[in-house]
Amino acid sequence: MIERTPILNMLTYFIMIVGLLLILGPFWMIFTASTQSLAQVNAVPFNLLPGADFLHNLQAAWHRANLGPAMLNSLIMALLVMAGKIVLASISAFAIVYFRSPLRHVFFWLVFMTLMLPLEVRVVPTYNIAADVFEPVRWLIQALTGIEFSLQWNLLNSYSGLVLPVIATATGTFLYRQFYMTLPDELTEAAKMDGARPLRFFIDILLPLSRTNMLALATIMFVYAWNQYLWPKLMTTEADYQTAMVAMTTLVPNINSLPEWNVSMAGALIIMLPPLIIVAVLQRWFVRGLVSTEK
Amino acid sequence: MKHFGVKFAAMALAVGLGATPALAEKVKFEFWHGLSGDLGERVKETCDKFNASQSDYEIVCTSQNGYPETIQNAIAAYRAKKNPAIVQVFDVGTLDLMLSGAYIPAKKLMEDNGYKIDWGNYFGGIARYYADSKGVLNSFPFNSSTAMFYYNIDAFTKAGIDGAPQTWEDVEADARKLKSAGFDCPFGFSFDSWATVEQFSAIHNQPIATKNNGYDGLDTELVFNKTKVVDQLTFFKKMTDEGLFQVKTAQLGMDVVPAFASQTCQMIQSSIADHGTIGKTIKPGTKWAVTMLPVWKGTERKNSLVGGASLWVLKNRPEAEYKGAAAFLNFIAQPDMVEWWSTVTGYIPVTKTGFDAMKANGFYEKPQFAGREKAIESLTYTPAGDLTRGIRVGGFPQIRKEISNAMEGIFFGKMTVQAGLDQAVERGNAIIRRFEKTYAGQTLN
Amino acid sequence: MNKRAVFKSRWLPILFALPQLLLIFFFFYWPATSVLTWAFSLEPAFGGAGDRLFVGWDNFREVFADREYWQSVTLSLVFAFTATALSMFIAFVLAICVDRQLKGSGLFRFFYIWPYAIAAPAVGLAFRFIFAPESGLIAIVNTWSPDLWNPAKFGSHAMILVIICFAWKWIGYNFIFMTAGLQSIPRSLIEASSMDGSGPLRRAIDVQIPLLAPTLFFLLVLNLTESFVGPDTYGIVDLTTEGGPNGATNVMVYRIVSEAFQGLNYSGAASQSLILIGLIMVFTFIQFRFVERRVHYK
Repeated sequence: MIERTPILNMLTYFIMIVGLLLILGPFWMIFTASTQSLAQVNAVPFNLLPGADFLHNLQAAWHRANLGPAMLNSLIMALLVMAGKIVLASISAFAIVYFRSPLRHVFFWLVFMTLMLPLEVRVVPTYNIAADVFEPVRWLIQALTGIEFSLQWNLLNSYSGLVLPVIATATGTFLYRQFYMTLPDELTEAAKMDGARPLRFFIDILLPLSRTNMLALATIMFVYAWNQYLWPKLMTTEADYQTAMVAMTTLVPNINSLPEWNVSMAGALIIMLPPLIIVAVLQRWFVRGLVSTEK
Repeated sequence: MKHFGVKFAAMALAVGLGATPALAEKVKFEFWHGLSGDLGERVKETCDKFNASQSDYEIVCTSQNGYPETIQNAIAAYRAKKNPAIVQVFDVGTLDLMLSGAYIPAKKLMEDNGYKIDWGNYFGGIARYYADSKGVLNSFPFNSSTAMFYYNIDAFTKAGIDGAPQTWEDVEADARKLKSAGFDCPFGFSFDSWATVEQFSAIHNQPIATKNNGYDGLDTELVFNKTKVVDQLTFFKKMTDEGLFQVKTAQLGMDVVPAFASQTCQMIQSSIADHGTIGKTIKPGTKWAVTMLPVWKGTERKNSLVGGASLWVLKNRPEAEYKGAAAFLNFIAQPDMVEWWSTVTGYIPVTKTGFDAMKANGFYEKPQFAGREKAIESLTYTPAGDLTRGIRVGGFPQIRKEISNAMEGIFFGKMTVQAGLDQAVERGNAIIRRFEKTYAGQTLN
Repeated sequence: MNKRAVFKSRWLPILFALPQLLLIFFFFYWPATSVLTWAFSLEPAFGGAGDRLFVGWDNFREVFADREYWQSVTLSLVFAFTATALSMFIAFVLAICVDRQLKGSGLFRFFYIWPYAIAAPAVGLAFRFIFAPESGLIAIVNTWSPDLWNPAKFGSHAMILVIICFAWKWIGYNFIFMTAGLQSIPRSLIEASSMDGSGPLRRAIDVQIPLLAPTLFFLLVLNLTESFVGPDTYGIVDLTTEGGPNGATNVMVYRIVSEAFQGLNYSGAASQSLILIGLIMVFTFIQFRFVERRVHYK
């Protein structure tokens, strides 16, 4: 700025520091709690300095919540969801933007309307269909032909079950649609002049051009998928497919046990780390992804 | 209508995503139960014993961490046709199961699989809870209990109290003495309707619902807002306000059993099933005892209600699993298993032969088990009457939630006792009406 | 959404649209039809032998006659508006400060975004500890006088706790959009106004806030929607208060899931779901109208 405003600058710094305490304070609490012993963590007033039990607590949380497989499951789920969403978004938007059929409007609106059906409001029937994906198919076939099939596909307790129901993406499709719309028509015309088929054009030209979009979308979708809670919680009854977010709930100090907040916080710390790293390290892409999907 | 069995390899679709389970030689089947902590470990041991006892079947026992959760998860799984073969359902969930059409009756299962069970061997009071009107068992009694009164003898001695409280008047007097002797929490209680509302009503011969607690029809209505339950909660509220009684719930950080075991509270009411856990977790050397729930002075005491749970066999499983399930249910009904189970937990034996075996072994004379016979005394104090044989009300698990909600309002909020109970009854009746409509046309058998 | 230059192919667009179509059919629209049927019938907990009982609007009547439902609506409103206001206010103040681009602003900006990375259940768990009555940061007030703070006991405290969780988590998100909005204000405008002799505070009020209004409005609608029906609200409530005590934090979205899974009242939950879907449609409509208008600004 041009003018000198020392008092206002000081006030600005003061507010920003208070804000920083507000934001980082909880992180610091989680961290210090996870380094303390059981007695320290339950001391009143709370001691804001770290203790010496960090590794011990990390280990305890890791074993108690069985975080090894859970973190792996979360990682697999997050990566599959992320990749799936990018693929779906890019091809769906391609179908909407680069072809002229009246049906594309219907398709666009069908995708758009899913925004109004959050999981929370259709949770029981979604669970049912995940247990028996072909139920509507059987129903349709029976209604149409009177033939009864016993075709079944159960998604409960599988990676497909973790991924498929949350992979459809309205926001991703919008993002890609918007990106395609900003590309000049000349690009398409030139490609057509060169005799490129649509598939070639999509793979050779559009996808490479959308790299930045892809990265931006990837960061937000990874965070989104890693932080999924309700669906994995309902869907997995077998420990083999539990995700980290669900495993964390076993660390809540419960009725008949000691208030081991140090272990709880150590577990929370481990579980919140991957998305935090994404946001911290790839912040530019993450911000870009968020801002562009919501516009 | 034609039926095509299309052998479609669904796994082909799931390649790369789904996991293929390894083929096991033994027939595996699942058993979901609601016990956790120490009792959960005991169930696990039971399953291990069964698996070690034979080589044809393998039972996989999974705790769902709580009775309400077990029935919820079993229903969700049943709707999705992924239910376990055996599920443990608590007492008040009995009617929900009975009308569901989702189970194979116990007697039929055992007959189909060639087991001869002496059904008369189950204690009458227990069996009646889980049987139809003709006395045929729908499910297998597994863990049976009743509510008891625990007190800390060391604390009593220190406060100069002699003997167990027999009446609630005694409890009040003892609480005052304990308080002046420096005990911060003389009596701890939670918002569990089982002891405070249901068992209290039974031993005071008060109805919980019309139509003999629902046994005579689905058109029953809750009435505990017009009975002695009102006085009882008013008494609890007064004592709480004076600091003599304290609320101990999981949400506040400590439930009644740990509160007693850690000697935070000197008196509690809880299931006889916790006898084993308390004995294991209380500081060694502490003197404590268990007795029947107190009654109000001048009350003619009735028998208390059978609590606990039974095992239901659900439909939708392959035939081979039912053979395994029958083998397991037969296994746990053997006298030596009944005896072992009752010893390591605090549950009362469910069969006469099991009980006899325990008596013959001098079980009840052993100091660490002393007091457990009081549970049987409480259950058989009088023959089970119309108001003391059980509760057969649809949706009762949800009604319990309404009761504990109302108690939260009464003890934490600004609700009066009457308003709280009225609310629980009104909302509970709505649940019953919905249940009645849902199963309209079905009669209680 | 019209391009001049398009391709001609019959099968490719269908092939490309098909995966997403199938997924939304199986996991969105088919379940939604179940919600619709259940809302107008009595669905037995164990499922019935096809004998669904049609009851017309009875389920809705029951829901609307239920005092606890209206309590839940009120709680949702209180929660949504308070959490949104708190979160947006803090984010706005921070964004204005950072936008002054003083030395080191970048560092502050770097950290202000962090809360958005943390999953709602993790936020819930952490704040449950920080605000626990017997240990953690706030426990000290209870040594002055017992039960000065106890979210397990007092409904208002529980509500404050879940509001804080939500507001904190969404500071990051709001901050991102506000800084982006502020940055898009042409520097020349600000410089012009400073030539006119107005100080930084004056400029914030006269230039920055009006130009940021579209972003603020967009965030307002989005925050309200998310706090009303979003998964974050569910995750936070589930890990902190579980709707209690005595239903004091039983907000609509939590109520639906617990009514269905714990209450086994699929029909009641379904009719509440439909009401909520209606509300979401209203929100989305407002947002859509706004987005349309915003295009005209540019």
